[in-house]
Amino acid sequence: MITVEKLHKTIKKRKILCDISFSITKGECVGLLGPNGAGKTTLIKCITGILQHEQGEITFNSAPIMQHKKNIGYLSQHTDFKSWMTCEESLLFFGKLSGVDDEALRENISVVLEEVGLKDKENYKVEQLSGGMKQRLGIAQAILHQPLLLILDEPVSALDPIGRNEVKKLIARLKKRTTIIISTHILDDASEFCDRYIIIKNGMIVGNINDEFQKSDRKRILVKIENSPQAKETLSNTDFEKIEIVSYNTYLLTGVEELELKTVVNDFAQKEINTISIEFYEKGLEEIFLEMVSDT
Amino acid sequence: MTNFNTLMRTEIVEALKEFKFIWLTLFFVILGVTQPLINKYMDIILENVGGADGITIDPNRPTPSSAEVLLSTVSGQFNQIGLIILTISFMGLIAGDRNSGMQDFILTRPVSLASYLLSKLASHWLISMFSISIGAAVSYTYTMMLFGSFSFSNFLLFLILYSFWILYVVSLTILISTFVKSPILIAVTTILISMILIIAKGFNHILFQLSPGSILTLAENQLQSMQDLNYFAILTCLFFILFNIYLANLKMKKS
Repeated sequence: MITVEKLHKTIKKRKILCDISFSITKGECVGLLGPNGAGKTTLIKCITGILQHEQGEITFNSAPIMQHKKNIGYLSQHTDFKSWMTCEESLLFFGKLSGVDDEALRENISVVLEEVGLKDKENYKVEQLSGGMKQRLGIAQAILHQPLLLILDEPVSALDPIGRNEVKKLIARLKKRTTIIISTHILDDASEFCDRYIIIKNGMIVGNINDEFQKSDRKRILVKIENSPQAKETLSNTDFEKIEIVSYNTYLLTGVEELELKTVVNDFAQKEINTISIEFYEKGLEEIFLEMVSDT
Repeated sequence: MTNFNTLMRTEIVEALKEFKFIWLTLFFVILGVTQPLINKYMDIILENVGGADGITIDPNRPTPSSAEVLLSTVSGQFNQIGLIILTISFMGLIAGDRNSGMQDFILTRPVSLASYLLSKLASHWLISMFSISIGAAVSYTYTMMLFGSFSFSNFLLFLILYSFWILYVVSLTILISTFVKSPILIAVTTILISMILIIAKGFNHILFQLSPGSILTLAENQLQSMQDLNYFAILTCLFFILFNIYLANLKMKKS
């Protein structure tokens, strides 16, 4: 659906994006993750056509993205509207700019306000809305013209827990029918919706992981044994991807196969190494993210 | 064109909702009235405020002509205090949209940067010219009543040429807004550049012909009944307006 190839962007002689390439297929929900200043917003602004890139190509269904602006819905990081407009007037304004004809627009506004839970607030001025309501109105303007691709830049980061919950429920509903790119640094939120994560650091992609990969990668076992010099030797003869010593008698094993584990426990028993506990441990998205963006 | 109309209409409605049409017009009316009244009743004003001590007013001083009074209204009131207030009134025309995120919402839609910038230029020029025209018309009426008649066609011609200058100032504000984020800094820079252009009028005649400020001299000449219509000044001004918008367009695309 959308392909970004070898994208480069420099602002004030500073390289913001460097050789960014990825593609997103129809129906996917992709999380764009990265620390502050990684280049997420700049990448989004290039995709939406707000910024021009120097090198590379962004295509939407094989055509340049600029020809498909009508098919993109966008919610920016800082959501505010003309405070004197009502919710309905705001949506009328954006709908007209999107090229939706008047009759369809009136109908769409009613449907969209219902969907974001602002139906009874259509005549409220924007200045009367809470932060969560404004964000939902922001999403309403993004889906008003029924876009094929929805881009949400930090949709919940500025909201209180109630507002966050409202917006998260809304995104979960939208995910069922639209391709979504969510930029965020709140990883728990991303893990609730996303099928895939593109991790950016210093303007470069350092990770492109899907949910399945992440699930398999995060299976780990914490094995606690009585201190024995033979334990380390026994473990080093196994096929575990990674063996880490947590403390003098505790080992963290990554890439665990159940059969492998049984063999290890049996080996320990044969060598009279007493196993104190076996604890299954899952590596979270946050840990994966930190590993990828850490400088060490 | 549809997007241009939608954007421009929104700017106009916003100015109405913020009462900009009222307070800006009132301000220019006050400026327009002040100069003829001061010129006519200076001695009475000084007497009534009790500040005439030490000030000698020549009783035989010549009464200024209506052209001179109108000229001092424009150069003394409109081009100084008026310009400052006008610039402050539209210093947030781009910065406001950018800081609130509105600009991103607009530009992710099938809206060209050119139509966005031109709608800002046209709407703020219209708002400014509405207020200036009423202020100038009131000033013209007072000047006629107090100092005798003055050609209406010349006054109208002045107003048309002056509107080119205002269009240039708005385009300058747009250009500076694309480089500077702070609205106050935008206003200060615009005012400074405009003032330099106004002051530089008399420095070098040939060089000045190539400056956007030459339109101001042409406009003021109409008040002095100097009938020359220097089309070159109009073209120069139009060139700089388009140049400002082109540069702003380029800058916004890149950052």
